[in-house]
Amino acid sequence: MYAVEISDLTKSFKTAVREPGLRGSLTALFSPKYRTVEAVRNVSFRLGEGEILAFIGPNGAGKSTTIKILTGILFPSAGEAQVLGMTPWKERQKLAYRIGSVFGQKPQLWYHLPPLDTFNLFSKIYELEDKAYRKSLDYLIEAFDIKDLLSVPVRKLSLGQRMKCEIAASLLHRPRIIFLDEPTIGLDVVAKQQIRDTIRHLHDSEGITVFLTSHDAGDIESLCKRVIIINHGQVLYDDRVSALKRRYMTKKAISVRFAEKIEGQFTMDGVEVLKASEYGVKLQFQTDVTPVEKVIEQLMVSHSVVDITVQDPPMEEIIRSIYEKPPDAAGEESSPGEAE
Amino acid sequence: MKGVRAFVGKYLAIAVINFQSSTAYSGEVVMRSIMITVILYVLVHLWKAAYGASGSTVIAGLTIRDTLWYLVLTETLILSKSAFSTRISDEVRDGSLAYTILRPYNYIVYHMSYSLGDSLVKLVMNFAAGGLVVLILEGPPEHFTLSSLPFLIVSILLALVLDFCFEGLIGLCAFVLEDVSSLQLIYNKILFILGGMLIPIDFFPRWLAALSKALPFNLILYGPATIFVKGDIGAAAGVLVMQSLWILVMAGILFALYSRTMKYLSINGG
Repeated sequence: MYAVEISDLTKSFKTAVREPGLRGSLTALFSPKYRTVEAVRNVSFRLGEGEILAFIGPNGAGKSTTIKILTGILFPSAGEAQVLGMTPWKERQKLAYRIGSVFGQKPQLWYHLPPLDTFNLFSKIYELEDKAYRKSLDYLIEAFDIKDLLSVPVRKLSLGQRMKCEIAASLLHRPRIIFLDEPTIGLDVVAKQQIRDTIRHLHDSEGITVFLTSHDAGDIESLCKRVIIINHGQVLYDDRVSALKRRYMTKKAISVRFAEKIEGQFTMDGVEVLKASEYGVKLQFQTDVTPVEKVIEQLMVSHSVVDITVQDPPMEEIIRSIYEKPPDAAGEESSPGEAE
Repeated sequence: MKGVRAFVGKYLAIAVINFQSSTAYSGEVVMRSIMITVILYVLVHLWKAAYGASGSTVIAGLTIRDTLWYLVLTETLILSKSAFSTRISDEVRDGSLAYTILRPYNYIVYHMSYSLGDSLVKLVMNFAAGGLVVLILEGPPEHFTLSSLPFLIVSILLALVLDFCFEGLIGLCAFVLEDVSSLQLIYNKILFILGGMLIPIDFFPRWLAALSKALPFNLILYGPATIFVKGDIGAAAGVLVMQSLWILVMAGILFALYSRTMKYLSINGG
């Protein structure tokens, strides 16, 4: 059995079209116009149990809509979906016991109360036995390192601390699949890495299936083996992350700040200078030609560096390069959906 | 048996956590009940003038003290009742519906428990604050009997549930309309007049009193308030029966509509 299996899934919304300004408002009042937006179009894929899938795409690509259909909140306009062998929108309540979900932009913890109160509530809602709940709670406290946060009102937690508790709350009932919708959004680098490590740890020790959406390429690289890219509601790419990296994420950018003024023009072999000022440069290079370590090493040797940031190309750029070099033409693609 | 315990435990836990949440700040709890003392202070003087102008001590069977205690009850109820429709429409607008609808419970019953947890705190606080004003300015209620107390408590709970059903029907419109504040405004005005919040229904012209009593809205405010000021157990039993019947009808409609409107749901954000 697959953890998730969907075929030809389509969801369209009818939205009112309204011109800006007073005239637009009046026109909309007397003769409203509607436009049908297809948020998801004929999406099909399968996800095996225990896989970690990155489901990525730019804003408005249809990621959240797909998650909402798979968790049973939205009815699709057409197509089929099975999650753990159940049709989500028909068996939402039954399915709810076996899946967990985290929406990074929405809080689920009671804002004025400590996280432990929400955890206790969820143990009742998910009808957990006391012993099972204790065990699950102890495990998550250790995995997420949240012992000291449990009795602090949520409003006093930092975003990173809160997010750890949000995810822990969604795992108390030991779901078989967890849907993580932008779990690292707005977090700093350290908090992001902590969340990633914990998700990885949970996956390795519990075999939980992870369905992750993000537009942070870092999440995908450090967590997932398989990636599906969706754009304008359609699947654009479905393959291993390593293939994506090899083929499309070949560029990296480095921003450096120096302690002293640079004398003359800044140059380096195999590296393109995007921007240069007196105390810093922004560089771009092909990682297959010039590895990151080499660029950093050279920078360190030749200058005294104050600050350095390595960036992946933005999602939009990766998508653009997929359109330019479609994966079908590559001939090196493993068949989608079969990646372990 | 275990299933029943888990079922009840679930909804009880929801009411308890919202009770905790709404009492998280003791200062705020006290501040909230200041509103009703101001309202009742004004009403005391308004009705004193009205009774003075009419020249009689009893109007439509109610003394001025009856009328004022009646208003303590109706104001307490209106200020403590759930704002379920507003909450559904907020959840639709900010997208938090994605969480609340996704748990293994009945969404409607979840919100009812949630509302009760909050309403019970407000009921006690508002009644104490409002009652104090009338007690000081006018004296204790005249016809209230201890034997009618159980009827009063049950009728207040049923009133909250019945109101919740109407709020729920308005709230479900939010699945489609998103903003339901206009519908809620209309509903509140109906409660003000036909529910008997501003003026006891007995004071109405005969046709309007008959209309108000035929509609279910009087059971939310006028019903419990009359039990309190008249202490008539026979009449109280009648109120409870009517409340229960209307709850059956309205809850039936609410649950039936809920499963249908789910199909039209669209969630914002993300």
